[in-house]
Amino acid sequence: MPKFAVLQLSGCAGCEVSLLNANDWIDRYKLVYMPLVISAYDVPDVDVLIVSGGVRTDEDLYNLRRAVKHTKKVVAVGTCALSGGIANLGNRDDVRALFISQTTRMHVPRLLPRSQPIDDAVNVDLYLPGCPPTSELFMAALFQTPGFVPNKIVCQDCGRVKDRTVRPTHLLGFREGNVQSKLCLINQGYVCVGSSTRGGCRAPCTRAGHPCVGCRGPSDSFIDKETADWLASIQRVFETLTDVQPEEIMASIKTPQLSLFLFQFMDYLGVKRTPRPKEKVL
Amino acid sequence: MPTLTFPLSRIEGHAQVVIEVHDGEVLSARFQANEFRGFSYFVQGIPAEQVPVIVPRICGVCSTAHHVCSVKALEDAFGVTPPPLARKIRELLLLGQIIQNQATSIFIFTMPDRLNVDSIFQVEDGTENQNDKDSIAFKALQVRKSGTDLITLAGGQFIHPVKAVIGGVTSGILEADAEAMRQKIQEILPVACDLFDHYWQMSIAMGERIGTWGDDSPAYYIASIDKSCPNYDTQMIHVADPNGTHVDSFTAHDFREKLSFRESLHSYAGETSFRDSIMRANSLARINMADSMGTPKADEYLQSFRAQFGKPAHAIMLFDLARGIELVYALERAMEILSEPLDRDDTDVPYTPRDGEGFGLVEAPRGPLIHHYTIEKGLIKEAEFIIPTVHNMRAISHALMVAARRYVTADKVDMELEKAVGRVVRAFDPCISCATH
Repeated sequence: MPKFAVLQLSGCAGCEVSLLNANDWIDRYKLVYMPLVISAYDVPDVDVLIVSGGVRTDEDLYNLRRAVKHTKKVVAVGTCALSGGIANLGNRDDVRALFISQTTRMHVPRLLPRSQPIDDAVNVDLYLPGCPPTSELFMAALFQTPGFVPNKIVCQDCGRVKDRTVRPTHLLGFREGNVQSKLCLINQGYVCVGSSTRGGCRAPCTRAGHPCVGCRGPSDSFIDKETADWLASIQRVFETLTDVQPEEIMASIKTPQLSLFLFQFMDYLGVKRTPRPKEKVL
Repeated sequence: MPTLTFPLSRIEGHAQVVIEVHDGEVLSARFQANEFRGFSYFVQGIPAEQVPVIVPRICGVCSTAHHVCSVKALEDAFGVTPPPLARKIRELLLLGQIIQNQATSIFIFTMPDRLNVDSIFQVEDGTENQNDKDSIAFKALQVRKSGTDLITLAGGQFIHPVKAVIGGVTSGILEADAEAMRQKIQEILPVACDLFDHYWQMSIAMGERIGTWGDDSPAYYIASIDKSCPNYDTQMIHVADPNGTHVDSFTAHDFREKLSFRESLHSYAGETSFRDSIMRANSLARINMADSMGTPKADEYLQSFRAQFGKPAHAIMLFDLARGIELVYALERAMEILSEPLDRDDTDVPYTPRDGEGFGLVEAPRGPLIHHYTIEKGLIKEAEFIIPTVHNMRAISHALMVAARRYVTADKVDMELEKAVGRVVRAFDPCISCATH
């Protein structure tokens, strides 16, 4: 039976919890290292190493570099491991200053200047974005599930109906108002970025009436483009489906801290990165 | 002077225990949280209404509690009261959280200590082969999944849910979906009870084998639930003294006056105290402060628990058994709520955002969780997260000291200490992601 290990860096364990929710691996893969559920001190030799969480401390960096020596394949899972994720919020310069107060502690791992994605330090063979990736996507990454082709964008997963005749003139707040059950959230005035976000998640958020926050990152069409192209695309979608003034749309989607864009626009903060090759992203 | 360092596993997050020994005497036993992300810093400047999407990411295990607590803090700031249907659905969300967490803690984190294995995924003798559908691992994951399915139904997704919104929830639950979920739980309840019975017996056996149930010093207990039929969507925090007598009740607004907080120099998590004394939160606090559970099976277990261990019970391994009682309760209570009409339109009330201050409170699996925000020009100016694990930090250190003194003698260190350290910490089921946030 092939073996796999799960290395958790600085993160929330949501990815691990998602993996635990899938029973399918139990009789097909042998889980040999995952501190959340197994007492083991070191990563043994494995076929697949799953890494979740970002590189935030010197200990994360050490554990990551040591672990990759024992695996044939590295899979980066979750938005933190891929692009820093929600921790990017702490990489804003005005907020980074606050972290200095944490440097007076003793005998604890030191914080690095920024939270970093794991491919800043090691080679990655497969990227599985999502916050967290669904159990189904986890299985697809582990087993290369035959016939599993993720949808290109979240809109294809969502099933809400776009209606060019229902045209709001102003945007609603982020999470206010009564959500209609079948109509596209953009037609209802919500800032939803599902149209440029990678699909495959089956749209649990938008189906539940919550705008897509882009946790799966850019779709294949945008993965190697500049932020400006993504923003322009979202703008075009809003112009097609609403009568909201362009200035209002831009103001809303360009709020620097807007959580929507933390996930999707990892280079929003000015960190330039070589795009990940499409064929390596599930 | 040797220093013994024990990395920890089968807990949520990165932590270690450091025990200093000199001439057979234990000088200190420290529980160190080794990670830090800085949520209270990086939500600063964020539009307040986005916080319920950001803060669940404090923890993938406890995301439901943070999601609901955050919405409640904003409702407090905006002066809005959610309608009864929304409160029902939030109650379901938090019950799902209890099911998921307690099943994970007792069947995945601490069951291996009783079976003397490293993991339930590595039990490989006969019927307990990990590939077997009758195996503990498979059943444990099934029970756990009933909790996550319930969160998905009530919250949209089971990690980082989205359906609680300021003023209510995004939608009700269709009758057919609620009925299907109720049936699923009905099927899983006997599986959970069987596993728990097995766990209870194994716990007794383990107690006999190692000759102790761990630190049984009387302590203050803190919880925010009512005395019967607990709804984990709570309003008031209660404290009982070491004799089990109720001594104080307060709202989240007043926590600063009642609880003292201290940062730690050797851990990224701080610690709270009540009247300068050690207090304990989590399952045992709730069980010690309850009159009854209010559902049939759970009350049977509670009666057995009381008959065997008394009230209040103090030995730390009883935290684990208390979790099982709560697991059964949450399954039963969820079935009751799912039988009520939840497919209605009065899911939320309108609200007007305003600046000011807000406090949110829920009873998370590990105890009372408080979110406190200050809002200026619609943006978060300051945020505080008062984490249940932090209430237990002094109690954990104390219990580690008790264990260390048991296994460290003048001439040697009994390496059973390594296992004891794991058992002690897991009894408190600490969440390090949350505690450090």
